Amino acid sequence: MSEQVFVIGVFAISYGAIFGYSVYLHLRRSRVKD
Amino acid sequence: MTRVQVLLSLAAIAMIVGLWFAFTAPVDAFQGEYSRIINVHVPSMWLAFLAFGVVAFGSIMWLIRKKPRWDRLAEASAEIGVLFSAIGLFTGMAWGEAVWGRAWDWGDARLATTAVMFFVYVGYLALRRATPDPEARARRSAILGTIAVIQVPLVYFSVNMFRTLHQTQTIRPDGAAMPDEMLVAMLINVAVFTFLYIALMVARIDVAKAEASAAQTQDLAGDAVKAPLLSEVEDV
Repeated sequence: MSEQVFVIGVFAISYGAIFGYSVYLHLRRSRVKD
Repeated sequence: MTRVQVLLSLAAIAMIVGLWFAFTAPVDAFQGEYSRIINVHVPSMWLAFLAFGVVAFGSIMWLIRKKPRWDRLAEASAEIGVLFSAIGLFTGMAWGEAVWGRAWDWGDARLATTAVMFFVYVGYLALRRATPDPEARARRSAILGTIAVIQVPLVYFSVNMFRTLHQTQTIRPDGAAMPDEMLVAMLINVAVFTFLYIALMVARIDVAKAEASAAQTQDLAGDAVKAPLLSEVEDV
């Protein structure tokens, strides 16, 4: 059980970083008007 | 929906599929659940290598052609490469802590060369930030981007050159060192991450283009609306 929690945590942090970067790009893009 | 939003949405769906394969594949008899970490660690490091290769390509093309789009390509790829090498380092350390009993060992060739590669590309991004002039920025970063790619084969083959803690390559010319079901899950995640890289590159280049265009407009408008200095105005 603790092994699964550890692995899920590692995946959550990794995928969270990717999601965070996508949000950062979206916010940076929305600050610039076309 | 814009092209960027469509690509990122498709990448999100692909990542869910990749997660499903990662968590339904059989686990290694000795490592147990920890062996699933390979499904995010290997794809992340593959993307870092791919991204830094693209940085070198964009850099060489800029040095030949001097077109801003090659500089934008290199810049976007470096940023994404740094993100994925950070994820690769983090997942490797987490796996090492669980399986080896230690997260880091400076004596290990793969770990040390990967850390150096990561910091060199963080330096690449810092160099870009520290150079305000676009022409000088593109030239300096293109030179660094071309030289720094030497680290990619060095990191990849370090496990064969120096036998230390990190295991050798999983996929070799004589076959893969893992069961087929685990290999399929890992390769699907490699494909998913490659698609994610394309989507993030399109999004990042779109940001760079929009910012460059806005900066150009601002420069023009700045000149037009700038109030003249009193000393510049005659007949006051």
